[in-house]
Amino acid sequence: MLRLRERLGRDAVAGLVGLVVSVWLFALTWGMPKSPFVPIGPDFYPRIVLAVTALLSLWLIATDLTTRRRRPPGDVVARNYGLVALTFLAFGLYVLALPGLGFRIATLLFVAGLQVLLDPPRTWPRRLTVAAVALVVSFGVFPVFERYLSVLLPRGTWTGF
Amino acid sequence: MFELLGDGLLNVLQLKYFVPLAIGTLVGVVGGALPGITITMTVIMVLPFTFGLEPLQGLAAMIGVYVGGESGGLITATLIGIPGKPSSISTTFDGFPMTRKGEPGRAVWLGIWASFFGGLLGGVFLIGATGWLADIALQFGPWEFFALFIFALSMVAGLTEESLAKGLLAGALGLIITTFGSDPIMSVPRFTMGSQFLVGGFPFLPVLIGIFAFAQLMTDIERARSLAVGDASAKQMISLAVSQTRVVGEILSRPFLLLWSTFIGILIGVLPAIGGSAASVMAYDQAKKLSRHPERFGTGTPEGIIASEASNNANVGGSLVTIMAFGIPGDAVTAVMLGAMTIHGIQSGPLFMSQETTLAYGIFAAYLLAHPIMLAIMAIGARWFLLIVTIPKSVLIPVVLVLCVVGAYALNNTIDSVWVLALFGLVGYGLVKLGFPLAPLILGLILGDQIEVNLVRALMTDSDLWLFVTRPISALLLALSVLSVAIALWQRRRPARGATEPDVDF
Repeated sequence: MLRLRERLGRDAVAGLVGLVVSVWLFALTWGMPKSPFVPIGPDFYPRIVLAVTALLSLWLIATDLTTRRRRPPGDVVARNYGLVALTFLAFGLYVLALPGLGFRIATLLFVAGLQVLLDPPRTWPRRLTVAAVALVVSFGVFPVFERYLSVLLPRGTWTGF
Repeated sequence: MFELLGDGLLNVLQLKYFVPLAIGTLVGVVGGALPGITITMTVIMVLPFTFGLEPLQGLAAMIGVYVGGESGGLITATLIGIPGKPSSISTTFDGFPMTRKGEPGRAVWLGIWASFFGGLLGGVFLIGATGWLADIALQFGPWEFFALFIFALSMVAGLTEESLAKGLLAGALGLIITTFGSDPIMSVPRFTMGSQFLVGGFPFLPVLIGIFAFAQLMTDIERARSLAVGDASAKQMISLAVSQTRVVGEILSRPFLLLWSTFIGILIGVLPAIGGSAASVMAYDQAKKLSRHPERFGTGTPEGIIASEASNNANVGGSLVTIMAFGIPGDAVTAVMLGAMTIHGIQSGPLFMSQETTLAYGIFAAYLLAHPIMLAIMAIGARWFLLIVTIPKSVLIPVVLVLCVVGAYALNNTIDSVWVLALFGLVGYGLVKLGFPLAPLILGLILGDQIEVNLVRALMTDSDLWLFVTRPISALLLALSVLSVAIALWQRRRPARGATEPDVDF
């Protein structure tokens, strides 16, 4: 078991996820209603695609297990996955806040917050830039879309703004 | 044809079309010049601004972005050695050494004029070939269309660098995404998990924007050190004064190089979902192989710049041919354009030329006019665009994400589309981290419905499966599909490389 886990690489894990999802969706196709008037039901095409996906996933797993992986010579670029996770979190909070706060307030907070998160401003000119960019993108963009481009952006159900 | 083109040119010269085209070209040049912001990203950012416009206004703006973007990348590539976009990488090889030799004006203008000539030659092909190819496509039945889409998918999956299984799997994942929602024949809901929103399926554009935008932006964020400041070397103002006659003469005195590079660009453009970076690298490689002085490449030779820039602009023409004649996007930019066309209720494909003649010739005209506009923009502001590089990504990234949200929300004024954007943002980033190519995924996403419709239509017309291999065009296309997979397998019989993470190319 331990040896198998050691052999499982990135591709095998991806293949396993692909296989599980394919099998799960394939199982869901059994419940699809069929019409007596149409010989080919709505489950026909998804089953073909899912069967192909399952086979490809197996191929990926097999390739990964049979390929001797060499460790990369060292990641020369330092990766900041924590910052990526925080950005996704900030984006999720932004989308969550959009209906309640409305586009202008939610965008103001998001743009200012994300700029601070990505590059904390330490000087006053930089802080002013952060504020100016946030204001322009939130309060400047809204009327442009609404008045000139006929695109209605969300107004807040909590704020009415 | 010439009368229709003349009408198209007069039409687009009207202010209401010309202004979006000019603004789009300017935005494209700026986006192209910004390292880390690809043309696809720029088109995605422009997309929400086009929703309220007429179809031709919106498409003119996007074509402007496309043409401007292909040219904008050469500014930073030649002057500071940083390609503004992947298709400018090979321009850097000779453009930057030429600048370091003290000829920045010559380097930049060789690129601009090569882009101009390559783009216009691509335009000639676009205008001449689209109708002809669409006429051929009109002879296709569901068997041929099914085989054509399978061929496109297998070829793109086969061309992916890392693993054929991953390329094919990415394409299959794109197909699976299209099976969510009502089936296209009987409108029976599939995989909706009880969600009313999913009855309509995943909306194409939020999925596309999510996958591309997040995969790219999050990859930038990983390298957090580059977010704080732009490139300081770009702050110095460089004189780009040069004899334009001499530069044009340098290009036109190499007609074979110009034509061959343009041909490669068009060919790569016509092939689905490959894109300009492959075109410019191939053209550069060919120019070097066919040169009498290959040793001069990489030291600042004009041939390198001409080959790279002529091919990546000609590639735009080729991509537009594929989308207009077959409804298959030539690359990610045309995939976004395809989505925009769908929003306006326009169906691209073989009937597009006959049913939307005014729009089709409007697109041709916009494409042709975008080139002199690009030339004028470059003449006025080439050296100023260099300053754009100084904008930090910590400012750009939030702005781009907000525009992505606007683009997704404005599609049907529902926050659910924005959640789809976020979901596929996660999926796109995850796939990139797992080393999956995005091009087959996008192609699968675009072609999924059409593959299903044509497969079911073929089988409902005649249940004989042999028709797929006995009808000559269908058989040829399916044989080519098998061949492309077989070639890909054969090429990968070399010893497996280490499991290193590949760089993302959009």
